[in-house]
This record gives sequence, C-alpha cells and structure tokens, in this order.
Amino acid sequence: QEDGYTRVLRRQAEQTLRDSRMVAVCHYNSMAEEDVATLGHYLRRHNIHLKFVLNEVIRPVLAQSKYRNLLPLFVSRNVLLVSPEAPAREMLRVLKGVPQVTLLGACIDDTILSRQGVENFARLPSLEASQGQTVAALSLPSSQTSSLLQRGPSYLTALLDEHIRRLRATGGATELPRGTGGASEPPQGKGGA
Amino acid sequence: EKMASKVSVVLRPVKSIVVRFCPFEPNVESTRKFLQCIYHKKVQATNTNCEVTTDVRHDGSEPVVDVMFADGDRLIMKGAHLTTGEMLTALASRCNAKDLKEEQKSKKKNP
Repeated sequence: QEDGYTRVLRRQAEQTLRDSRMVAVCHYNSMAEEDVATLGHYLRRHNIHLKFVLNEVIRPVLAQSKYRNLLPLFVSRNVLLVSPEAPAREMLRVLKGVPQVTLLGACIDDTILSRQGVENFARLPSLEASQGQTVAALSLPSSQTSSLLQRGPSYLTALLDEHIRRLRATGGATELPRGTGGASEPPQGKGGA
Repeated sequence: EKMASKVSVVLRPVKSIVVRFCPFEPNVESTRKFLQCIYHKKVQATNTNCEVTTDVRHDGSEPVVDVMFADGDRLIMKGAHLTTGEMLTALASRCNAKDLKEEQKSKKKNP
C-alpha cells in the first residue's frame, strides 16, 4: 500500500523528467546548508534546477520510463540537476568548484552519457558553427571539380595572352588578332581573348 | 553517516585519499557510502590538509580506495566485495596505529 506522499513525490519526479532536456545525476556528500543554497543559486543562473531525490521514490519511476539504464547510478545519496536546455559547459564549470558533488552521468536529449561523455559534449562547437562546417565540407568537392575543369582553358588563355604581348613587344605587324583593323596603331585594350 | 559516528576515523596521518569507481557498475554501493562517510564534517575536521579526490571512470573497472599516508605507506582497498563498515574499520585501525607510533616517537624526543 503506497503512501499518499510517496505518490505525490513520484508524480513530481515524473513531471520533472518529462519536462527536462538534460538530467544529470550527481553523487552528493554532505554539504553545509548555505553551500547548498549558493550552489542552487549559481546553477539557477544557467536555468539548471537542483532536485534532491530519495532512491525509493525515483527507482520505480525510472524503471518504467526511458531512463531505466540510469538505475545503477541511484545508490546512496544523489542529487539531480535538471534543465530544459542543455548547458553542459556551465554546469561543469560550477561543479568544478564544488568537490562534494560528483557528476556520475547524464541523459541529454535522450542519450545517456558518462562523465567523459558530458565533458566531450561540453567541448562541441555550437549548432550554427557545426552547420557551417558541414556546408563547407559538402561544397568542397564541387568547388575543387570546377577549378580543375577550368585549369586547362585558363592555362591556354594565359599562354595566348603572353603570345600577343610578345608579338606587340617586337612590333610585329604580321600576326595581329582579328577584328582590331589597322596595323599602324597598336590595338587598344585586350583582344578577343 | 550512522557508521561514521560509530567508527570515528582520525585522518591525521593521512595525506590523500583517492576513491575510484565506475558508477554504472552494480558493485559500487559500499564504496560510495564510504566516500560519503569520509566527507562527513567530523571526519574532515580531523585533518583539513587531507585531500579527498573522486575519480569517476566508465571502463568497467573495480571500485578502489587508495589511501596515501604521511609516512609513505599506502593502503589500497578494493571495494567490490567489502562492506563500508569493513573499509572504515580497516582505515580507522591503521590511522590509530600510526597515531600511537607518532605519540610514542614524540614522547621519546621530549621526555
């Protein structure tokens, strides 16, 4: 027979899990009250909320949800850091200053990550930067192909230009490019090439 | 915390404690409880210079508690098959033994 209070706590836990994009599980050693309040304050600045959970309450909730692989993390005292966004970098920075709270693992965007995974996730570039890099990578082969195709004709053009230049330099009247008319005056501007 | 008050550990002869475990393994409960006991206020108050580091891995390794004493001794406890009480008692007994030795040495120097 389940206690009414336990039912309320379970429903709250389900609600929290449903609303958050990031759920980080941390091992909690005893801290002074004011330290807990300060930590909560720093985390709330980045829209991360501290939630203390009892293992008996959270275990059945997790077992029935998609987070069941996080079950082995819930032994002894834990604290959940939940957030509707995924500010991994800020969270790691705040937790670095708090030795009593140890990050064990997290579930970000339906992906379970270990501590190392969270650190790698924090080091990723932003979405816009990654999209820009992908676009650049995809357009690279086509731009290379076009420059390769243009190489032959542009080399021929350069050679013809040089040839004309030398002819003009020697004052040669014999081989003027067509369409310029009048051998006396050197042709103004570039020729047909 | 109940165990910490029953087995009072004096960390004076300890230089550093490293607790290494892989939280997704099923055998880490006693090691994590041991970590919580050492982080208790009373135990931390016995030696503020003692560094307690937690190393969280994800390689399926066994949970290990590595204690370095100030006189160079090292105590390695593999927490996979030990209870928290056993680990605390082992650490407490060694700390008390070293404390007694220190007291005897200081008594010899200053009679």
